[in-house]
Amino acid sequence: MTSELFWFEKYRPRSLDEVADLEEVKARLRELVRSGSVPHLLFYGPPGTGKTTVALALARELYGSMWRECALELNASDERGINVIRERVKEFARTAPPGGAPFKLVILDEADNMTGDAQQALRRIMEMYAQNARFVLLANYVSRIIDPIISRCAVFRFSPLPRKLMAERLRYIAKSEGVELKDDAIDLIYELSEGDMRRAINLLQVAAAASKIVDAGAVASAAAVIRPAEVAELLNLALAGDLIKARDKLRELMYLKGVAGADIIKMLLRELIRSQLDDDVKAEIAEVLADTDYRLTQGADEEIQMTYLLARVGAIGRRVRQTHPLRKKQ
Amino acid sequence: MTLPWTEKYRPKSFGEVVNQEEAKHKLASWICGKFRAPREFCSRWAKLRDREVLDAKAVLLAGPPGIGKTTLVHALAREINYELIELNASDVRSAERLRQVVGRGLKEAPLFGHEGKLVLFDEVDGLHVREDLGGLETIIEIIESARVPIVMTANNPYDPKFRPLRDMSLLVSLRRLSEDEIVELLRRICASEGAKCEEEALRSIARSSLGDLRAAVNDLQMLLSGRRVLVVDDIKRVGERNPQLSMFEILDRVYRARWFDGARAVSFNPSFDWEQYLMWALESIPVVYRDVEASSEALDRLSKADVIIGRIKRAQEWELLPYALELALGGVSQVRSKPRLPPFIRYGFPQRLLILARTKEARRRRDALVEYIAQGVHASKSLVKSELIYVLSALAKRNPQIVERLRKALNMSAVDLKELLP
Repeated sequence: MTSELFWFEKYRPRSLDEVADLEEVKARLRELVRSGSVPHLLFYGPPGTGKTTVALALARELYGSMWRECALELNASDERGINVIRERVKEFARTAPPGGAPFKLVILDEADNMTGDAQQALRRIMEMYAQNARFVLLANYVSRIIDPIISRCAVFRFSPLPRKLMAERLRYIAKSEGVELKDDAIDLIYELSEGDMRRAINLLQVAAAASKIVDAGAVASAAAVIRPAEVAELLNLALAGDLIKARDKLRELMYLKGVAGADIIKMLLRELIRSQLDDDVKAEIAEVLADTDYRLTQGADEEIQMTYLLARVGAIGRRVRQTHPLRKKQ
Repeated sequence: MTLPWTEKYRPKSFGEVVNQEEAKHKLASWICGKFRAPREFCSRWAKLRDREVLDAKAVLLAGPPGIGKTTLVHALAREINYELIELNASDVRSAERLRQVVGRGLKEAPLFGHEGKLVLFDEVDGLHVREDLGGLETIIEIIESARVPIVMTANNPYDPKFRPLRDMSLLVSLRRLSEDEIVELLRRICASEGAKCEEEALRSIARSSLGDLRAAVNDLQMLLSGRRVLVVDDIKRVGERNPQLSMFEILDRVYRARWFDGARAVSFNPSFDWEQYLMWALESIPVVYRDVEASSEALDRLSKADVIIGRIKRAQEWELLPYALELALGGVSQVRSKPRLPPFIRYGFPQRLLILARTKEARRRRDALVEYIAQGVHASKSLVKSELIYVLSALAKRNPQIVERLRKALNMSAVDLKELLP
């Protein structure tokens, strides 16, 4: 039922033909499928640009109705450690695919979230099971994938959907769902989603749940609803220098909601960009966010790093309050 | 001679063990599902029928010290009328000895009047992989071939060396007791000893026990020896002895140190536990310094210490630990904009542990929901937690059917589910 619940899943293209964009990617993949020699694949690009969709469509293309048995979906950040991945791949690749297909497909999402060591281990796994399995690695940043893996893969770049195609798709979905979609709504969705198709469809769906006629106003209120309010509060508390209250909020997000530190930083960055702060302050806070993100990947304890972030933002906030009146006079 | 109160007030029956209902149900369900046990005991306690419970070959009871792991096993044996064969990891060394002792114990018929035998391997994390040659393997062998119930206890079941034990066992976690729960138990002991105990005094004992009930009861007995009244000032006497109280002292020394070296020297203290210290320091920095500038400087140092520790843990470069400690002690203590500290600072218990203990069930439900959605829509759990769950909750507010369908799919109450949708 979850696939019906979210429109982005309900309207996920099922075949390569259905994918609206990415002509070059599709052509190259078709050529590989036709020749029968599919190498390991690396799809990289920002979120919501069709990496998962194309990987799943490819599985359908290769295996038809048997695709579920022949494709293993893993998520590098969900599966705990490389050993779990190794075990699952081992189990999966032990048997030959049904129906005479030459290999099975392992789709590994968020591969760029793996540490360098884990990627080295992954490389060995890829080689070990190359007889029976091909890997499709999905990543946001190709720069975070180690060279030995890149050199073993056919690399595909995914770029955000052009405005025209996104508009077409949104109109199609709206029509199928009996929703009237105004042009100004499409403009705003495109702007807010930054080319992320999944976020665009989410905005449309939440707006449409409130009213059957979706205009820019409906989209704006949808955007406000699906943005975690806690993150805006967290930023404000931190800026106000109330470290103890800010920390309570942080713990609520981390422990009750289970949001990872790195994801909180991403959301803080989005809030920061939207905020009314002066640009030089924004730049300074963005630097702190980047610094903390780095320390998170290096450190051992998320709460220590995230509390450090809140205190640094608090110190910046206080300095801004102290110097602001002076600056006005200049 | 007076009996130690930890013995005198030790629960004798399963029902008397308080605040561990979840663990009790799991343990009883396993016993009743696989071995002979009295019917009324099983109908009262054994409610679980999961594969996880019934497939396990042994039970691994996990939890911090002093919360009643061993007590629970004793109570269980008494309740189902089994003879208890108890092996403490620290007194049985080497595989050979282990096999001898258990082998002999299991061959003989149970003592007269007993229904069967129950084997308890206490403190398996006391087994030293190198010294207790093959001890772990022997335990595994014994579990594989045993026809009697085997229960183990451990403080930290996630130690990698336990992996094989963990895989074959049912992990039953006892929860760390809350401050309030410990205060309540101490209050009952005071009442039954006919002593007058100030609430604040009991609270202070409970707080410094860090959830270790045994330590708290020991402290209470010591404080009440030869007297019938306990006030909060008496607590200071425990300070010298109690390692938990020395965490307050450690923090106090660090924050009040006048030189870098004075703060750093704290790490030479034998009771200094750096992992604990980091948590307490993180908790206390904003409270002690109040000033956001000073806090930010101290947290910067703590954060850098943590970065070094991350590197130590990944690469096992333990020779770097002194740098991390210098940052976490001297670096936290000596900040440029250090405010004047008040004469008395109340150092709070790290809230993280309490939050995690208190919200365990809610988090379990949340994970189930997140997992369900993530699988259905080819998304990662982190995407669900940071984005899709907000979309879902917006949709659910407009459409009550969504809640209803999710509720059914996940087998949750509507109240529990709504709590998960922000």
